Amino acid sequence: MQETVASRTVDARPGSPARSGGEQSNRLATRLRMGDWPAAWLLITPVLILFGIAVVFPLIDTIRLSFFDIKGLAKPKFIGVGNYVKLFTDPAFRNTLLTTLTFTISTTIISVGLGWMLAMVSAFAPRQTLPFRVMIFAAFGISEAVAGYMWIGILRPDAGGLLNAVIGLVQPGFAQPWLGDPRTALWVLIIAASWGGVGLPLMLCFASVQSIPKTLFEAAYIDGANHWQVMRNIMMPLSLPGVRVAVFINLLGALRAFDIIYILTGGGPVRSTETVGYFMYRESMTQFKLGYGAAATVVLLVAVLVVSIPAIIQRTAGAR
Amino acid sequence: MNMHKLTSKVRRRAVLAGASLAIVLAAMPVLAQDLSGELVILQWQGGTDAEMWQKLEADFTAKNPGVAVRELVVTGQGDMRGPMRTALLGGEKVDIIINTWPAFRAELVDAGILRPIDDLWASAGLDAVLDPSWKDLGSTAGVTYGVNYTYGDRSAIWYKKAHLEKAGVEPPKTWEEFLASLDKLKAAGFAAPIAMPAKYWAHGEWFETLLLRTGGVEAASKLAAHEIPWTDDIVKTTLKKYAELLKAGCCGTPEQMFAGDWDYSADQIFTADASNYLMIGMWMNSRARNDYKLNEGVDYSIFQFPALGLGHDDTSSVDAKEVAVTANGANPAAADAFAVYMVSKDAADILASYGYASPSKNADPSLLGPVQQVATAAVAQSKVQFVLGDLLPGDLVDEYRVQLQKFLQDPSDATIDAVTAAIEAKAQELY
Repeated sequence: MQETVASRTVDARPGSPARSGGEQSNRLATRLRMGDWPAAWLLITPVLILFGIAVVFPLIDTIRLSFFDIKGLAKPKFIGVGNYVKLFTDPAFRNTLLTTLTFTISTTIISVGLGWMLAMVSAFAPRQTLPFRVMIFAAFGISEAVAGYMWIGILRPDAGGLLNAVIGLVQPGFAQPWLGDPRTALWVLIIAASWGGVGLPLMLCFASVQSIPKTLFEAAYIDGANHWQVMRNIMMPLSLPGVRVAVFINLLGALRAFDIIYILTGGGPVRSTETVGYFMYRESMTQFKLGYGAAATVVLLVAVLVVSIPAIIQRTAGAR
Repeated sequence: MNMHKLTSKVRRRAVLAGASLAIVLAAMPVLAQDLSGELVILQWQGGTDAEMWQKLEADFTAKNPGVAVRELVVTGQGDMRGPMRTALLGGEKVDIIINTWPAFRAELVDAGILRPIDDLWASAGLDAVLDPSWKDLGSTAGVTYGVNYTYGDRSAIWYKKAHLEKAGVEPPKTWEEFLASLDKLKAAGFAAPIAMPAKYWAHGEWFETLLLRTGGVEAASKLAAHEIPWTDDIVKTTLKKYAELLKAGCCGTPEQMFAGDWDYSADQIFTADASNYLMIGMWMNSRARNDYKLNEGVDYSIFQFPALGLGHDDTSSVDAKEVAVTANGANPAAADAFAVYMVSKDAADILASYGYASPSKNADPSLLGPVQQVATAAVAQSKVQFVLGDLLPGDLVDEYRVQLQKFLQDPSDATIDAVTAAIEAKAQELY
């Protein structure tokens, strides 16, 4: 399926993939005449309806709820921006913002950094390493809930936990409560979340490397470049589009993280691992203050938009 | 139309309608006895409790073959009120709600979901089955909504007999003996004699019984209603007693306490043999018997919280579960019958077979295991107070548990001042 960089032969494929895609789009646009619009609408309408029901309506309803004071099963009371005012004066929420920032940036750096690095190494790896690459990517396909329970087994605080048992081989009786220590809990959580997130950046970056014209590698090797120089001067800069997509996807995922936090720490100890996603759950589902929880959701939505919009604009501009 | 004809037609119809009504009214007692239709129960319990409920439902339907019981199961982790609220707000209609939180009952009443059962209580003669205190416990603002079918001692300390024997410790009766037993257990190789489950909520159990033994039922009740502030001396003295435990090295490091919930702590005692004491509700009995396969009263037992000597050692914290009938359920007759069934002898026998005590006078205490008998005797001799955490508003209980975690990190006087002030600040917002 894949070939290593070193073994590639000259590919006389003309033009870059981006240019080919652009030409194809132009041809399609020319073909799409006014008479095609009814058919286009017919095809897109079911999707729009489903999108409206599944995304737009809940979104609008969440924004509406955020202006109400809702306590448990009691009747909602309109309070305007009261929930937002309370939110930004709530020390617990301010703490979650900082935790979310740490969690998001750290998991993105670790996941994408590791994924990118593995993609570089994979490009030079022999075909026989394919099963290992598949295994790394498979972690991305495991549900966060399942991964969470697996990590609970690894991080058990007593000597029976897998991690403690491994360290115990060197230091008998070692028993570190990884998730019980406010100083380590967040970082352990970041590692657990990053583990599941490495697969996607690996594949995206690897795909970017695969799309680099092979003539470049040929030329580099003919000019006497070694593997490291090829990696540093050709593969790394030219795989950046894949890295950007991976960063974007990881940022969005990390901002919304909930499952693994719920399972591993429940936001504790002493709220040290509570992110906005978990805060939203706690307020909405445990305290059942749906209005307040909805306000936190809207704040999270704004954060997601802040990350998404520049990326979408950039990608749209790139496509043109 | 002829006026005479119209009048006679109306009369004929009135006679027919009257006759029909008489037939229906005559048949009503029969209808009341022959229950039918679907009875929907909002079920949030899992594991052995769920299995016990299926037995109860099967027994009820065997007695009322026309009724088909359907459980609307909600699942979740931790506080189950969230999933229950989600189901109810989502428009689910149920006939029976199993409830264990007095504060949640008040919320359900305010939302118009529960139906008062004072008339049912009188007609079913429940006064002869349950003591008035159980009726009070199932009431909100003087109106009865819940039939309590089980209760548990929350001031009991669980232990494995072999551990205490190994350390040469007798179940301690006083606070001093209890503190001394910690040293003996540590000397016997148990580094953290108390398994303190502080990950979520269970670290509050120690505080709540200490509060009762320090200030009595009245003080605990006033604190729950915020009639005394959290900065009151009683609360601070309670925390200072709690601090004595921590300073005696009861529970390992705060990080170890934060690492597990009550089930992990139970494992530390009953399977890992690493700790000795656990303070948790009577559901532990079911876990010990059914999950750990231990022999009740032989392998493990309980002792009541040791006497502090502050004048309130005749107090115990209790929890209870009730069945409440709904106002919008489709089958109120079956719901009423089920509520009454839950305090019948047959239901009490099923509960006893799973290690649960029933407050019903129909219950046969001899069916209870030895541990449950110790607990029921202790509760019977105590002034009881419902679990504090279940009486507090949701926001406050959350803050209270987090502040107690901070206290566990540093049980100094300065921290006691800080945490009580923080809880009080939250209480000021809410009451």
